[in-house]
Amino acid sequence: MTLKKIKENPVIKKLGFNRIVLTGVLILMYVVLCCSVDNFAGMPRIMSALNYAYFLGFLSLGVTFVIATGGIDFSIGPVMFCCALISGYCLTSHGIPMGVSLIISLLVGMLFGMFNGYLVAYQKVPPFIVSMASMNIAKGVASVFTKTQSVSWPQAAKGGWFRYLVKVDKVPVGIFVFLAIAIICSVLLNHTKAGRYMLSLGSNREAVRLSGVDVKKWEMLAYVICGVLVGIAAIYYVGAYTTVQPGYGDQYNNEAIAGCVMGGTSMAGGLASIGGTVIGVFIIALLQEGILALGFTKDYQLIITGIIVIAAVYADVMARRRKN
Amino acid sequence: MGEVILEMKDIDKTFPGVHALDHVSFDVRRGEVHALMGENGAGKSTLMKVLTGIYTKDSGTITYEGKEVEFHNAREAQAAGVVIVHQELNMVGHLTVAQNIFIGREFKKGFSIDDKKMVEESKKLFQKLNIDIDPSATMSDLTVGKQQMCEIAKAISHDAKVIVFDEPTAALTEAEIQDLFKIIRDLREQQLGIVYISHRMDEIKVITDRVTVMRDGTYVGTLITKDCTKDDIVNMMVGRVIYEEPKTKSMVAPDAPVVLKVEHLNAGKMVQDVSFELKKGEILGFSGLMGAGRTETARAIFGADPKESGEIYVNGQLVDIHSPQDAVKAGIGYLSEDRKRFGIVVQKTIAENTTMANLPEFMKGIFINKRKERKKAQELADSLATKTPSVDELVVNLSGGNQQKVVIAKWLCKNCDILIFDEPTRGIDVGAKNEIYKLMNKLASEGKSIIMISSEMTEILRMSDRIVVMCEGRKTGELMIEETTQEKIMSFATRDVG
Repeated sequence: MTLKKIKENPVIKKLGFNRIVLTGVLILMYVVLCCSVDNFAGMPRIMSALNYAYFLGFLSLGVTFVIATGGIDFSIGPVMFCCALISGYCLTSHGIPMGVSLIISLLVGMLFGMFNGYLVAYQKVPPFIVSMASMNIAKGVASVFTKTQSVSWPQAAKGGWFRYLVKVDKVPVGIFVFLAIAIICSVLLNHTKAGRYMLSLGSNREAVRLSGVDVKKWEMLAYVICGVLVGIAAIYYVGAYTTVQPGYGDQYNNEAIAGCVMGGTSMAGGLASIGGTVIGVFIIALLQEGILALGFTKDYQLIITGIIVIAAVYADVMARRRKN
Repeated sequence: MGEVILEMKDIDKTFPGVHALDHVSFDVRRGEVHALMGENGAGKSTLMKVLTGIYTKDSGTITYEGKEVEFHNAREAQAAGVVIVHQELNMVGHLTVAQNIFIGREFKKGFSIDDKKMVEESKKLFQKLNIDIDPSATMSDLTVGKQQMCEIAKAISHDAKVIVFDEPTAALTEAEIQDLFKIIRDLREQQLGIVYISHRMDEIKVITDRVTVMRDGTYVGTLITKDCTKDDIVNMMVGRVIYEEPKTKSMVAPDAPVVLKVEHLNAGKMVQDVSFELKKGEILGFSGLMGAGRTETARAIFGADPKESGEIYVNGQLVDIHSPQDAVKAGIGYLSEDRKRFGIVVQKTIAENTTMANLPEFMKGIFINKRKERKKAQELADSLATKTPSVDELVVNLSGGNQQKVVIAKWLCKNCDILIFDEPTRGIDVGAKNEIYKLMNKLASEGKSIIMISSEMTEILRMSDRIVVMCEGRKTGELMIEETTQEKIMSFATRDVG
């Protein structure tokens, strides 16, 4: 009963009980890691965790829109690699200017978004199937395009000015960019027609359609927005890790989706929280950094994110059942 | 009537913020049909859910066959012989009738399922109930009425001693209702205790022995059906007299312009060559039996389903309607018979649902002007008397009648001049029904034109200025209200159109 009272408190209701708990978890994790790992509080660790949070964050923001409409996108990781490979290949092998290459990255992401969105919204192919297929298409296209070569993006000193989007000297510029885009996403989702329609159709597509709304258009738009954000994620990925290899990227699907559902976005659609996604992403990034710092391998990361996805979706299902 | 088989005494149940059952008592005797009535939200369903263990009671006792019992779930209740036949049928469409009846307790022959024995057992059951259904037919091929008979057969096969019928006739045709009543009478004959939940007053008079009325979670009283009148029951339910007389003459001026003209509309088997006109300020009733094609006609006009041919004129202009968007643009609003699926977004607020069809009107640049949105929603909620603490309330928390008002508000917000009400009062309690009727009359008098699809004869007679009758996908008759009788409607509705 007291827990209920806390949840009913207007200030807490506004901030979101779930998000407050998540923030607590994030802080607790950080404190525990700082106590158990030497120098965890130091700048290098923080920067490393942030680098992970950036690209994962954009993926997670993107997939939040798709999940809000009741869909799912398992292609985001490989598509991100595809974006980075194609635009990087244009830059390094065809001498296309940096600015244009970055735009190419966004365009490739957008095209995949349009492809997925068109098939889901207009042709009614289940999003699970569509995105599974386009995951492989993305891998294949990237391999063919780059002739199965890895691509390395230039360092900042050698014309790689895009790295200033990630950090300038020791200032993590990326965090500001990420938060700014997250705020834009939040406004888009909660205060515009597009966001209202996406959330509503995620909850009851037929009722929205029978209200005279062009549901196909808005549903497709969610995938396109996701695609563009995946294109941005690609830039932040190479900004942090420089080299990309064709044929990878799957592991980030689960992590991005985990960040999203942990933050309170419902897999059933209709309910989404950008703020929650942001906190969720930071938790996943910190987790990855912590696991490595504690001397475990990446495999443990896979296990834990898998469990997080199941736990978050299970909690959502239980919450719905209680309501009914 | 035999001795009391089931007695619920002083049942109390509180949900957060709601006293759902306030020391309610209720009993059923062997060999009686006991009606449980009350407006939506009166506590009937909650009481039945407490009985079958879906909810746990806070206090009170349940005595069944002389022993105090407490079921923890529907399965335990079923095992003891207390079964609910739900309003929504719980059948698996692609299995056979027999497989459905014995689902979860299939007969085995070695490792495999003995379908033959299940069919035989089903046959025996149907014989006992005098039902003519082939046990090896696929469930989804049966009519809703037949499916319900299967559900009853399933209940009987559990050796039920008390059967609760929750609005069993909501989706049945007149003939199916008669069949159902025959079965219920048979069951009464066999000394079962039957609880009958329904909003339909006529049925209560025909089929039940006693009536218990609930209101706002409290027990109001129990009457012997044959000693009371409809008005007695209704008064107990709402605490005021509300029944209106049927309309005797059209309220539409003879020279009122035609706002909607439909010509030779075809859309599959259910809509064949349908033509009619709707005048300004008119309430045009669409009568017919279940499956007559009325909803299909409405959906085709509205663009919800594709049509094959036919012209639609709005205010004399030919309009091309391919999607609900086109229809809304032409000023047509459709209120579905199934609000939860097609009318409202339950996880959204009243305000958000209200502006759903007209959101572009509430934009300030690229942003939604939420203040303007809430103000408009509040205005409409006030004028429709929607009962809610605020327009920020999620629609899921509203009662059926109030949800219907939110759907009406949505179309008023869009300023649609032509409104298609498909079963406007289905699942809505008597008091709220009356409000919806008043609202529709008010809208018509303000110049809105209404098509009202209804399966309730009293509703058709009470509301319509003119009546179109359909049967098997075709329009079979049209009557002015002055010349209408139930018999005339029925003869059109059952006309053999070959």
